Amino acid sequence: MSDIVRGDPSTYPDWFSRKKSTTPLIVSRWVPAILVGIPVFVLLAIVIYPTVWMFYHSLRDTNIQGLFMGNHEYIGFQNYATVVGSERFQDSLVHLAQYLTFGACLQVIIGTALALTLYEFVKSNAARTVILIILVLPMMLPPSIVGVLWRFLLTPSNGAVNQALLSLGLIDAHIEWFNAGVSLWSIIIADCWNWVALPLLIVYSGRVSLPPAVYEAARVDGANQWKVMRRITLPMLKEVIAIAFILRFTDAFKFVDLVYVMTSGGPAQTSELPTYIAFQRGIREFAIGEAAAYAIIIFAISAVLITLFLKYMKRVMKAQGLA
Amino acid sequence: MAHVALKNVNKIYGSGTRAVHAVQDLNLDVESGEFVALLGPSGCGKTSTLRMIVGLESISSGDIFFDDRRVSDLEPQDRNVAMAFETYALYPNFTVWENLAFPLEVRGVSEVEQRQRANEIAELLHITPILDQYPPNLSGGQQQRVSLGRALIRDPSVFILDEVMSHLDAHLKFQMLFDLKRLHRDLKRTMVYVTHDQVEALALADRVAVMSNAVLQQVGDRNTLYNRPANVFVADFIGEPPTNFFTVEPAQNGDSIKMIVTNADLTFALTEQTAAAVKVHGGNRFTVGIRPQNLHLDDKGDLQAEVLINEYLGERSILSVANSQAKFRALVSPDVTAGPHSSVRFSYDPADVLVFDEKTEALIV
Repeated sequence: MSDIVRGDPSTYPDWFSRKKSTTPLIVSRWVPAILVGIPVFVLLAIVIYPTVWMFYHSLRDTNIQGLFMGNHEYIGFQNYATVVGSERFQDSLVHLAQYLTFGACLQVIIGTALALTLYEFVKSNAARTVILIILVLPMMLPPSIVGVLWRFLLTPSNGAVNQALLSLGLIDAHIEWFNAGVSLWSIIIADCWNWVALPLLIVYSGRVSLPPAVYEAARVDGANQWKVMRRITLPMLKEVIAIAFILRFTDAFKFVDLVYVMTSGGPAQTSELPTYIAFQRGIREFAIGEAAAYAIIIFAISAVLITLFLKYMKRVMKAQGLA
Repeated sequence: MAHVALKNVNKIYGSGTRAVHAVQDLNLDVESGEFVALLGPSGCGKTSTLRMIVGLESISSGDIFFDDRRVSDLEPQDRNVAMAFETYALYPNFTVWENLAFPLEVRGVSEVEQRQRANEIAELLHITPILDQYPPNLSGGQQQRVSLGRALIRDPSVFILDEVMSHLDAHLKFQMLFDLKRLHRDLKRTMVYVTHDQVEALALADRVAVMSNAVLQQVGDRNTLYNRPANVFVADFIGEPPTNFFTVEPAQNGDSIKMIVTNADLTFALTEQTAAAVKVHGGNRFTVGIRPQNLHLDDKGDLQAEVLINEYLGERSILSVANSQAKFRALVSPDVTAGPHSSVRFSYDPADVLVFDEKTEALIV
């Protein structure tokens, strides 16, 4: 026993060759099937089934009565034609573009600017934490509260915003925040206030994780702060900022709450977004088939945009050897 | 190119009871065009020293001069230093050539000239084929070359290298040692090289500054460090395997002094010169050091010992031996077959015996 010769199994201790226990650790071969089956079932139940159901009804003349009585007929792509042909939907696409440009994009830009300013100019950790908490607070409020709050703030006659602008001398008369043409801007302002902290948090955490040695190298190489920001920080944060964009874009396509609380799409449907119309047609007016068609169209638009975005990201990252 | 002088430089991190004195009263002169290595174990303050020279770390007290210019309060970008980092610190979003040219770009050099200089440097460092690639796609050795190139592309007063080889494998390391030596010979720049690896330091540097516990222990060329180490730390740190130490008591024998090891039956003879120095120094306990390569297997030798282990290391073997309580090591030829429990004898040259004060650990000469 004591003289073990390497390569000669006859000298190995007996535990080495003892037969391994044949009792399996997990008794049944059904266990893996069940473990995989549960998430598959959940996925089918809450994602796949409703999607298929929705697509099915988008091809039928379903309304609420028909849905419960079971009498609805196949009408081909007539629902889609109605949606695409309606002026209401076309207008809402313009509103969506306006919201994406000035809402989502501006939020990411402002959030990025705030995050980098905070990182560059506030050096004490305690101060950073306090400022971050203050900036993140609006994000913690439920959208209904945010909507009501901003309705009050923007009330034309005696709202705080108009009062402030007046007393600062920036305007001469009340801005009618909820008139046609302005009400969508009011929603965008409230939404910015609500969500600017999300890109801020994402970009800030990205900036924190950039390697300090690269910045030391840049200082030694003689670059000033502006040069470092433009040539090093922003390019290195490209992927992180893109992620913030994607998150805000996906949110934009399901953005209903503030529209509902602040303007209900009005006045005269001038602040409606496609998702709001889908909600309105389906839940308020019970045109299930048409609402389903809306949902599918919105899904298609967002899928195309986000695929393009991801393709671009992948190309950028591939060039840098990150993917 | 500049002469670099550090005068009574101190670095203290933190304050109050949690203050750490990372560099203590450091005085160091690096001649123009000289290659000096800062060598020491982890946490000895060598990197703090280097970061103070570059300007990435503020100086708690003392002054740093480049030639006659006091640079202590200048930002790194105003000192005209170039640095290669341990982690390479390449700009990941730039191609190799953009990385090389960035120091020129921030100085407003035209793009044509940037291209030309980058090509020259790439030629020098053999990285021309990878000029259009991005750093994450490169091997460690290639990244290291690019980071050296980025530092070399302008004409800095001092060229500073921070543990630049600690992430390279042994083969690449020897290649880079050779290349660095060649670069220094060709460019004649003032270079400060920080490392914890004595092989790198002794191979590259004209002079090596050994640091330990925030204090500069000794500055000298490799012969000085090897044969006349200033104290027990340097004798122990420089050389592989490290110096053997024995606690000894002197015994006067007419004019000569013998050093009798307290915990073993071993006696060391001293040269007349050392004996005189010991006599002047006085005291009745010393530390004696002798390097493993200065112990020679010899049947008529004075030092008898029993072999514990015979480690075969290829081109040489290390014999670990013992004489009662004293254990020590000797470097011998690899064909020595003395196995455990066999008895061996060593001879030595009294000139190789180093005597240190037992308390201050300083060399007695």
